[in-house]
Amino acid sequence: MLLTVYRCLLCLYPGSHRDEFSEEMTSVFRDAQSALPRALGTKTIFYRRELCGLVSGALCAHLDRIFGFTIPFRRCYMQSQFRFPRSTVFLMWVILAGVLLAIAEAKNIALPYGPTETRSAWSMLPWFIVVAVILVCSAGAAAWGILLALKRTGMHRLERLDTALKS
Amino acid sequence: MEIFALSEPVLLVLLSLVEQPRHGYSILKDIESMSEDRVLLSTGTLYGALQRLLDHGWIERVQEDETPRDHRTYRLTSRGRQNLQLEIERMRDLTKVTGLRMARKEA
Repeated sequence: MLLTVYRCLLCLYPGSHRDEFSEEMTSVFRDAQSALPRALGTKTIFYRRELCGLVSGALCAHLDRIFGFTIPFRRCYMQSQFRFPRSTVFLMWVILAGVLLAIAEAKNIALPYGPTETRSAWSMLPWFIVVAVILVCSAGAAAWGILLALKRTGMHRLERLDTALKS
Repeated sequence: MEIFALSEPVLLVLLSLVEQPRHGYSILKDIESMSEDRVLLSTGTLYGALQRLLDHGWIERVQEDETPRDHRTYRLTSRGRQNLQLEIERMRDLTKVTGLRMARKEA
């Protein structure tokens, strides 16, 4: 019965992955299941691990197929080359909040003008330039902040490690 | 070195294939014995790692006509062996620096 459940859970995977690995995975699961000791606790841990592995594996496979990357789900997933710093995540939230605020403000600006009212485009030009300059400066500052945060982590630490080894 | 997130399961799968080609269940058992039952991989995690390694050309399937589809064997490619060597060297350097730092602090 549990083998049937396992086969059903394999449907969570993308079709290409299923075609390539489902028979092997079922076979390995069957072998591992038959080698289990009788203790209920061990069996429970095994089935829980398999369930979590299948669900997270299917999610990873879908993400990999759609976006071309895999999210680390556990502590044991060591990203040896790249670590995403918290400061970068914070900056991204700030940028997202800024974009949402800008969208909300744009809606408010659009409301007062009726469809019949006409305005000269030239009168808006200075404001447009000022807003554009502010936006470019903000984007530049945000990009600089992200790069600075990245510089302090990940591969750059490994480079420092090489220097330490040489000295 | 290639840009590739080398997770612990991936590293253990590579280490398991260093000595000889293995099929899925054999890899699982070898990882269990290698890590003294500390790392117990699920089939989902194992085949996720195998797929990524196949995609990057670090491992390949052993082509045997008589092998059934559910018992296919995998082996390390020269590219996989080279990258594993680099990763081990990196870890060795890291361990060395850690040892030095710890000794300096204790002294």
